[in-house]
Amino acid sequence: MNKLFFLILSCLFVFPNLAVAKLHVVTTLTDLAAITKEVAGDEATVESIAKGTQDPHYIEAKPSFMLKVNHADLLISIGLELEVGWLPSLVRGGRNPKIKQGELGFLEVGPLVNPLEVPTGSISRAEGDVHPDGNPHVTLDPIRAGEIAGIIADRLSALDASHEALFHGNAKKFQDRMKQKIVVWKERIAKSGVKKAISYHKTLTYFFDRFGIKNSAILEPKPGIPPTSAHVMDVIALMKQEKISLIMVENMFDPTVTNKIINDIPAARAVTVPVAVGGEEKIHSMDDLYESLVKAVEGK
Amino acid sequence: MVRVYLVLLLSIFLPAHSALAEEGDASSPASRGGPSGKPFNPDTSVNFLGLGQYGSAISNDRTQTTHNGLTLQEAEMQFTSDVDVYFRAVALFSVSQKANSTDYGIDPEEVYLETISLPNITIRAGKFKMALGKHNQLHTHAFPFIDAPLINQLLLGSEGLNESGISADALIPLPWYSEFTLQGISLANDTLYTSRSSGDFGGVAHLKNLWDLNDSLTMEFGLSGTAGNNQYGKNSSVLASDLTFKWRPTVGGKYRALIWSTEYLDGQRQGMVSTTTGESQQKLGGIASWVQYQFAQRWYGQGRYEYVGLPRSPGVSIQSKESALLGFFPSEFSGIRVQYDLIQNQARPQTDHAIALQYNVTIGAHPAHAY
Repeated sequence: MNKLFFLILSCLFVFPNLAVAKLHVVTTLTDLAAITKEVAGDEATVESIAKGTQDPHYIEAKPSFMLKVNHADLLISIGLELEVGWLPSLVRGGRNPKIKQGELGFLEVGPLVNPLEVPTGSISRAEGDVHPDGNPHVTLDPIRAGEIAGIIADRLSALDASHEALFHGNAKKFQDRMKQKIVVWKERIAKSGVKKAISYHKTLTYFFDRFGIKNSAILEPKPGIPPTSAHVMDVIALMKQEKISLIMVENMFDPTVTNKIINDIPAARAVTVPVAVGGEEKIHSMDDLYESLVKAVEGK
Repeated sequence: MVRVYLVLLLSIFLPAHSALAEEGDASSPASRGGPSGKPFNPDTSVNFLGLGQYGSAISNDRTQTTHNGLTLQEAEMQFTSDVDVYFRAVALFSVSQKANSTDYGIDPEEVYLETISLPNITIRAGKFKMALGKHNQLHTHAFPFIDAPLINQLLLGSEGLNESGISADALIPLPWYSEFTLQGISLANDTLYTSRSSGDFGGVAHLKNLWDLNDSLTMEFGLSGTAGNNQYGKNSSVLASDLTFKWRPTVGGKYRALIWSTEYLDGQRQGMVSTTTGESQQKLGGIASWVQYQFAQRWYGQGRYEYVGLPRSPGVSIQSKESALLGFFPSEFSGIRVQYDLIQNQARPQTDHAIALQYNVTIGAHPAHAY
């Protein structure tokens, strides 16, 4: 009788557990999902909350996202207050103790990859949507993306030690590929002659920093504030003075603001660029994303 | 043998995530405490609403809480923090004008703790806005319009159904988002219940469902109800249903969005009669339906239609109200709204008009509002 009881218990609990042994990873952004897929291969299911076309600062905390979080073994976010307006609501609503801050299932990668533009001294909201711990758009640097792959490999290994070698091997492959490609991308950008550029928001900071392009001005007068006529006139004056001819508008923003600039400086070129995997239909991987940005700089 | 088997079984199923978790995020902003260096202080915010209004049906008496002219409508001070590994606490104090006075008073609008470590379920205790309908759960500064819908004001009072109690809500394992909430409440609400016996308890039940119709469009449908003894020693109850569609495209969603929300409340207040005519006011039902369209990054246009008296007892006046609102939000921390109302009340001989201008400001670390 006892044997029968334990057999039934085993069937109820053990077999279903084996059937769903694969880790389920939820990421806040598509870039993090793409990197996680590189690392995990077939050993985890991965899904992103945000779409690549959305502004990651302003994702709505839909209850359906809470369901995703509820089922997650690991929640990977950027941190640096990028998702502060929506992720805490999803974590609370997800009612999943595994992915609470401080648990193994909660991973913020941004603070671990040497963020840029960390404010010094006191900051105020009079400066716009300033991030107190640094610029959060870290995934647009291929080297930092490689570092993130390593961090994710560590965490996946902690959750699933049986695939540790695979996770670290995949992360190493991704890092090596980025290091190889970055040499070519740097050559192409150097050949293009572009040394300065304007962007709409400080999204491209890490890309510009890695490839030696100076982000001379931002179309937003302050982070999060739409361009004003007076500020656009200042940008036009600066572009003329410093002979800047490239404006890269991240494709979640309204690009029509550049019309006035192009009218004033016909030699200037305004391009709308995806800044996340899935930002355009053809952008399926981090490689595609960087390639797209490099081509935009080249004018191809 | 049995003991060994159970230990093995437990070791398989119990989560083993403590050891590495402690080292994992040592350099995260939260664990460093951010720039303030005070990681254990609660997130603190203050929101305040300034209001200037004129309406033909609104009193000119400054001692009335709703009066013509300029006023500080409300200020809310909110403190939020995890208590420990198991609980999170919220304390929100509201400063508003006292009735029949020009002085201001402070009230605990919501003060509660809730669990953060239980899977699939949240248990809450304290004083909080009850899960009756959709609008009742909003703070004043998050109202879609400057004022609450008429039916909410008439059935639940100016503060809504906001009582002491305990609550449990759980996710129902369905393919879509489905949440069931059950609450036990004190019956102190001075409009619906005002039960004299402190031993009386009432209940609230709420089923909330949300479907993603596609990546840009959601549909939310809720059913809820409350019941308990009232001041007449009889029963009061409200049934509520709400339906909301929200559209925000995944491409260009910073600049365009649309919400259409409709909520219906049906109240039964046994024993309630008009103090002037003696007629029954037992039945009181009403509906509010509104649309919000975001037509630029910081601009919103809205319209609302309300009808009260569906159903109604003879002592209840039929009322209808049409509102139009234009909102400008320079950032997520400030906003200015202007609202015009056209009001028909069976008890008044003429059509009434009202216009209001409101500014809405938040400082500090304010938690995000619910979807």
